[in-house]
Amino acid sequence: MVAFRNSDTSGRTTGLLLRCVLYSLIALALIIVDKRYDHLGKIRRVLSVVAYPVQIAVASPFEGWDWFRESVTTRDALRADKSKLEAELRLAQFRLQRYEALEAESQRLRALRDKTAGVTDRFVIGDVMDVDLDAFRERVLVNKGAQDGVFVGQAVLDSGGVFGQVARVGQLTAEVILVSDATHAIPVQINRNGLRTVAVGTGDMGRLKLPYLPTSADVVAGDLLVTSGLGGGFPAGYPVGTVAEVKRDPAQSLADVDVKPAAALDRSRELMFVWLKAPPPQLRSPSALPKPAIAPQPPTKAQTPGANDE
Amino acid sequence: MMREMRIRRMPMALSALVALALAVLPLPSVLEAFRPDFLVLVVFYWSIESPRAGGLTLAFMAGLALDVIQGVVLGQHALALTLMAAWATHLRLRLRVFSVLSQCLTIFALLTGYQFVLFWVDGATGNPVTTFGRWLAPVIGALLWPLLVGALSRFHER
Repeated sequence: MVAFRNSDTSGRTTGLLLRCVLYSLIALALIIVDKRYDHLGKIRRVLSVVAYPVQIAVASPFEGWDWFRESVTTRDALRADKSKLEAELRLAQFRLQRYEALEAESQRLRALRDKTAGVTDRFVIGDVMDVDLDAFRERVLVNKGAQDGVFVGQAVLDSGGVFGQVARVGQLTAEVILVSDATHAIPVQINRNGLRTVAVGTGDMGRLKLPYLPTSADVVAGDLLVTSGLGGGFPAGYPVGTVAEVKRDPAQSLADVDVKPAAALDRSRELMFVWLKAPPPQLRSPSALPKPAIAPQPPTKAQTPGANDE
Repeated sequence: MMREMRIRRMPMALSALVALALAVLPLPSVLEAFRPDFLVLVVFYWSIESPRAGGLTLAFMAGLALDVIQGVVLGQHALALTLMAAWATHLRLRLRVFSVLSQCLTIFALLTGYQFVLFWVDGATGNPVTTFGRWLAPVIGALLWPLLVGALSRFHER
């Protein structure tokens, strides 16, 4: 079975070493330039357009199947769906009634407190493409790109809460890094008492960590974590997760806090790209938490602790 | 000669494209860590089968395609694939006379080298992936090698 057909068995391949060295040097140069400078963004964008057909080709059978399944659903199922959605809409509208008033009030209060927490301005909905990226990094590919104004570092939400942020932008697609990625950190606040900290991904889609809370911190299981809006990357007040477990070891100075993410990281198909309102031109308070760091360019080591430093 | 080269390149490009599609095919996340590096195996096959038809160029291009499609540092897979394809080309005459088992072992070594270069570049660029799972792909790739050679050589023969 294992047989090579070709008769090209002469011992020499002309200039193998030379070509190997040449290509390796090009690759090394690419790595260094891509890592150190930002010039390759354009090239990558163009290349990602070339890659798009492959990604579409892979994703389309699954989308076709979804479409087929959708188009053969029975009338009963559709009616059941409809009444469920109507009920949900009623509830949502009921909750929304006071939204405008509350938003205005919160803006006023924020102005009083001289804080520049981001407030969402507009958003665009994108679909997750059925394409697997690196198996060991928590990322998804979404069918919105530079063409739609998506930019690197942009906050991405789903219906449950904060999903992640844009790590890389192509012309037609964007790569979103999930909050659960081991190199992702997001500034959060405990909703109950306003305690600020940073939630760090673990590489496991069902779990985040709060590694910087002292053992004495006021945090209990069930606490809701919301974005604090500090750092300016994420809009304030969106749910990030709920505290699942707090382990306090008296011998350690820091508590071990597990968080269950609010967004359906492994299930969401529709994601929301959010634009923040430009903050008023005031000075940021120097105590502001670090910007949420994204994997490709960690600004400093301290902000992006790996999941494996336990 | 020229004509022969052209004929040879068609199946090369086609198989590489299929392998690239397999590399991004959505799998259940349990199986994801078990996904073999199809494209790498295909590149190895062509480096051994017809090194003069530009196996190294194919390796470099395939590597770049993987970089773009997986969204990692540009050049990472290109470097790893180029080095390992050159090694495979260097070993090809010996590989042809190896038994299936020794071939699989050699491919395992090559795939491990490939993963190691990736691992190294990951570390050097500051996003190390230290999960043990990444060292699983070489094992599966090596087990898959005889099947792949069978399939590709049949496809090539036409």
